[in-house]
Amino acid sequence: MILFVIVALCALIGAVGVVIAREPVHSALFLILNIIALAVFYIVLSAEFLAAAQVIVYAGAIMVLFLFVVTLLTAGKEDQQRSESLKGQRLAAGVLAVLAGGGLAIVAVFNPSRPGLLPLALPRNFGNLSGMGAILWGPDFVYLAAVALMLLTAAVGVMVLNRPRPAPEANPKVREREL
Amino acid sequence: MIPLNWVVGLAAALFGIGVVGVLVRKNPLIMFMAAEMMWNAAALVFVAFARSFHAMSGQVMAFIIIGTAAAEVGIGLAIIVSVFHHRHRLDIDEVSRLKG
Repeated sequence: MILFVIVALCALIGAVGVVIAREPVHSALFLILNIIALAVFYIVLSAEFLAAAQVIVYAGAIMVLFLFVVTLLTAGKEDQQRSESLKGQRLAAGVLAVLAGGGLAIVAVFNPSRPGLLPLALPRNFGNLSGMGAILWGPDFVYLAAVALMLLTAAVGVMVLNRPRPAPEANPKVREREL
Repeated sequence: MIPLNWVVGLAAALFGIGVVGVLVRKNPLIMFMAAEMMWNAAALVFVAFARSFHAMSGQVMAFIIIGTAAAEVGIGLAIIVSVFHHRHRLDIDEVSRLKG
């Protein structure tokens, strides 16, 4: 239980830090803290493969991508705040979201679970690489194929989004439309 | 073992913080990170219930969530970079009209 409190505090600190940090780089580093705390939770909940995948995919690939974009876009610029276009939107959004999240959390914590539902011992290979491989290449192969197709589509989509455009000076009409 | 209720409660709190981040911040990168946190909270609930019900289908769903998040980050960051090349400001209000 003490371990749970410590890791949960790490996750919550990371989450709050993402939201309140001024610099996007600090947000990214707080998000890494949050992700690693969740990976610890996955290990405790006997999902070893997912913990490894979480660290590799999130803390590795996704955060590196984030850091690249943050350095590319915010290098040498200061963040200037503009006036809000929707008055009071932040306050209302914050209050509503805190009410929703807090309400969900309270309901979740104080709702009694049904312990009679569960068998006692975990099945063999629960959550490790063999178990995940057996289920992903067996009965749930369609999900593996769907994820593969989705990642392929995303890669092609990124290339299409960032394809080199025709030179805007050549055709002033195109330039006007694009601006 | 950790009680299931507390894990689900933690996930709800993380989801709420992510909602606050998406709604309050104006930097699209930070909004994106908050959205990632919401994905993560959903995956945590799936893993917790998979452990509780001894069914690995929940872990398969969490696997799909991780894969989806990877694809989504690639596409989303490409869109942010593309918008930034047009507008030269990191502010979500720049695209409030969704016109190129």
